[in-house]
Amino acid sequence: MRLDQLAVAAYRDGRRMVAPLLGYPGVQLTGSTIRQNTFNSELHARSLQALAERFRPDLLFFMMNLSLEAGALGLPVRYPLQESASVEEHPVRRASDLEQFRQIDPLADALIQAHIDTMRRMKDLLPAGILRGGYVVGPFTLAGLLMGATSLALATVEQPELVTEVVEFARGVVEAYGRELVKAGAQVIAILEPTATFLSPAAFRKFAGRADRQVIQALQEESSRKAATAGEEVMTILHICGDAGHLVEAMAETGAQGLSLDSDVDLAAAARRVPADVVLVGNIDPVAVMGAGDQEAVAAAVEHLLEAMDPYPNFILSTGCDLPWNTPLANVETFMRAGRGWRRQAGHDK
Amino acid sequence: MSAAGQWDVLQQAIIDGKTAAVESEVRRLLEAGAAPESIINEGMIPAMIKVGELFEEGQFFVPEMLISARAMRAGLAIVKPLLRSTEKVTKAKVVLGTIQGDLHDIGKNLVGMMLEGAGYEVIDLGTDVPPDKFVQTAKEQQASLIGVSALLTTTMIRMQDVVRSVEQAGLKGKVGVLVGGAPVNERFAKEIGADGYAPNASAAVRVADSLLGKLKGA
Ligand code: B12
Repeated sequence: MRLDQLAVAAYRDGRRMVAPLLGYPGVQLTGSTIRQNTFNSELHARSLQALAERFRPDLLFFMMNLSLEAGALGLPVRYPLQESASVEEHPVRRASDLEQFRQIDPLADALIQAHIDTMRRMKDLLPAGILRGGYVVGPFTLAGLLMGATSLALATVEQPELVTEVVEFARGVVEAYGRELVKAGAQVIAILEPTATFLSPAAFRKFAGRADRQVIQALQEESSRKAATAGEEVMTILHICGDAGHLVEAMAETGAQGLSLDSDVDLAAAARRVPADVVLVGNIDPVAVMGAGDQEAVAAAVEHLLEAMDPYPNFILSTGCDLPWNTPLANVETFMRAGRGWRRQAGHDK
Repeated sequence: MSAAGQWDVLQQAIIDGKTAAVESEVRRLLEAGAAPESIINEGMIPAMIKVGELFEEGQFFVPEMLISARAMRAGLAIVKPLLRSTEKVTKAKVVLGTIQGDLHDIGKNLVGMMLEGAGYEVIDLGTDVPPDKFVQTAKEQQASLIGVSALLTTTMIRMQDVVRSVEQAGLKGKVGVLVGGAPVNERFAKEIGADGYAPNASAAVRVADSLLGKLKGA
């Protein structure tokens, strides 16, 4: 199955797939911290199970961690108790600086293994019918963590060969981890490429899109190897938070089955700009609406979005980015209810 | 002064972000007798204003803007030492940084480069900067402005502590606090008592200029 087939099938049945980027709020259900879940796969999987049982989304990702792959390469990462992790130093200045990292096997890292194990456990713990999702960082964003985002931005103009080489290295790391997630049972993998927001469409195609495409192909190849027995092929989503409105066409060219876009982007306009077999995933504001708004605001925002997307079968209702850990659970409930309440109006199908 | 075309080569080199071309053109202009302060004020600064416009119009993206700002900086480095001490070398000093808990720095760096391009001396404290550090540095360096960047809603509220800290240091009205970053808006800036807000790097220069005027008037 492809993601667009699932989304379109739901639409033909008169409903929408609903999949907020939940992860972190699971800490509320297990009385734990983000840090505990990051380090403990058993707890992490239980937090996700609790979310799945309570909210019954169509697709559930594990907790987002943009620093995971960078940390596995030995970059210093700060893990606050109840905030996202972040990378503290960006040591790569020239191509030769990559040598030290080539010696490292990212799969040997304990946290990488913990996330692979979380995925395995999701297979046992999530109720049937809920797709298991995992995240990998995008190669360009990992390059930004290796070099520093501003240096990377400058280098896209001044040292394009260096950027290509660092991205190429990053791609290898991402692929290795992504393949393991597929083996562990991931049905959907979202590639997180936020640092690419600052690129022009041309630069995106050259530096980020090409590598994203290769990652997507590698993941699909890995899953088709497995598909002979399990009968399922991995579905891929490319996620960029922030204003990626100018990149929609270029993102679609990567071959990702879904594009996950943030609340800054006009999703209905984006739907008119991508082929019908590319699913748009989004894009309720995770912070202003879901985190800080009340239930009325959530319901209004979801209904407004559902209405705007009414003519488009290739849509999954989600949030623009992952939800803050302390998002009121009542808001998530309202989000799910409003999403489930949608019924296709006759005559709107194209 | 000579024809308006005098600055064309320099300005195009800045817009194209060609550091070497900027340097050689600055040297040529100096040899041809152009005054250092004119090279800055009439040659370079209008070029950076143009770069800011191209960014706001969506023709330039972050990398292009950073490259232009860097090329301009290379030119400034040649011209600045030649200014007589009676001439004002910089408009004012700005202490700039990303607020504590936040490591996003692309926007902050862009703002810093545009401010430099517009004639400010920027003291960049980097990311994850404690509120007190801004004020302490402003005091030590006799800066007129503090610029604070925030990209995370979870930590943006700490910008308020910068404003408070300025008040506690008795610097209110002497040091202006400028705030920005994706989740920050005019209303939030007012609520926390900041002196100025700008939605992007070229607007940041305009707001800094007008704020500076007010501070001097005070
Ligand atoms: C690139 C990016 C990253 C990069 C940062 C690289 C770097 N070194 O900066 C990486 C991948 C490392 C990253 C990490 C994280 N990020 Co991030 N990131 C972004 C993204 C996509 C773009 C930011 C950017 O650089 N934009 C381009 C620049 C040019 O724009 P700008 O910063 O807005 O700056 C302009 C103006 O705001 C203004 N300005 C900026 N500063 C100042 C200062 C002054 C004084 C003035 C006057 C003006 C001004 O002028 C600038 C130039 O025009 C944003 C999305 C967004 N909506 O912004 C998310 C975003 C900011 N990140 C977010 C989050 C949550 C994170 C993480 C916690 C992990 C995660 N789950 O994604 C970590 C946090 C780490 C930490 N502790 O800080 C959230 C914040 C949510 C919230 N509201 O709190 C955002 C909004 C994405 C989202 N929708 O969820 N991120």
